[in-house]
Amino acid sequence: MILTDREIKIAIRQRLIEIDPAPNESVAFSATAVDLTLDPDIAIFGGAVPGVRKEIDPSEEGFDAERVALDLATRAKIKADGYLLKPKDFVLAWTREYVRLPTPSRVAARVEGKSSLARCGLAVHMTAPTIHSGFEGRIRLEMMNHSPVPIRLKPGMRICQLILEMTLGTPEKGYQGQFFGQTVGGKKKKAA
Amino acid sequence: MRVKVQIAGEGLHPSEVVVQVATAEGAEKLVVDKRSLGNDNTLSVGAPLGRKGDLWLVELPRETMRGSWRVWVKGKELEQEAEEAQVA
Repeated sequence: MILTDREIKIAIRQRLIEIDPAPNESVAFSATAVDLTLDPDIAIFGGAVPGVRKEIDPSEEGFDAERVALDLATRAKIKADGYLLKPKDFVLAWTREYVRLPTPSRVAARVEGKSSLARCGLAVHMTAPTIHSGFEGRIRLEMMNHSPVPIRLKPGMRICQLILEMTLGTPEKGYQGQFFGQTVGGKKKKAA
Repeated sequence: MRVKVQIAGEGLHPSEVVVQVATAEGAEKLVVDKRSLGNDNTLSVGAPLGRKGDLWLVELPRETMRGSWRVWVKGKELEQEAEEAQVA
């Protein structure tokens, strides 16, 4: 079940969901989503160098996605006049907002693009939109320009929308569970 | 529960940090928000999901670099949350 604007606002007020800084009450919401904005920090993936061939093999022993990104990308900060994302260029970006979905709140989310930007050819994620129950942090955006013309990205622009959904029940890790009261880490807990 | 972690490096964003968890299958790295780390370099993992002797199955707060969410860790890698300790 998708949360409406009203339910999202109530959940934020009751701290069932945390979004920091808080979304603008008057313009950040739509009927069933809340807009998030673009942080100035980005990681720019380099283009192909003639004569150099690289490949990513996620099945290789020791594969480390973060090291791959660190190797292929350059960290940068978007200036006030913006960053020009050229056609077919790929950057990692982040929402300016820190988002927290505590497991007991029974809320998960999906980050999706905004239609106004999608129509210009801007993708904000690469098939991994799920924000799991229990998530906390800034949401990473895998951004690519699919249009034939450059797109200017500016810090603070509304870049994506967060669709919040109630989960059916609490995930297993949200329960005290069958092991409550057992010894963990050398510490004995009392039974429930 | 909280699982002990070691700082393995900076994240791509200033708010992030790469941490390493000692699992039964070896070290697993994941990127987390710095706010997720306790003062004692631990991460909240909720209630354990399974047990095999001294190994406990826990779900990490983010997907690891190798694509795992649930990992087996030794009991000594786990600590109680502050509120759990108050209950005990």
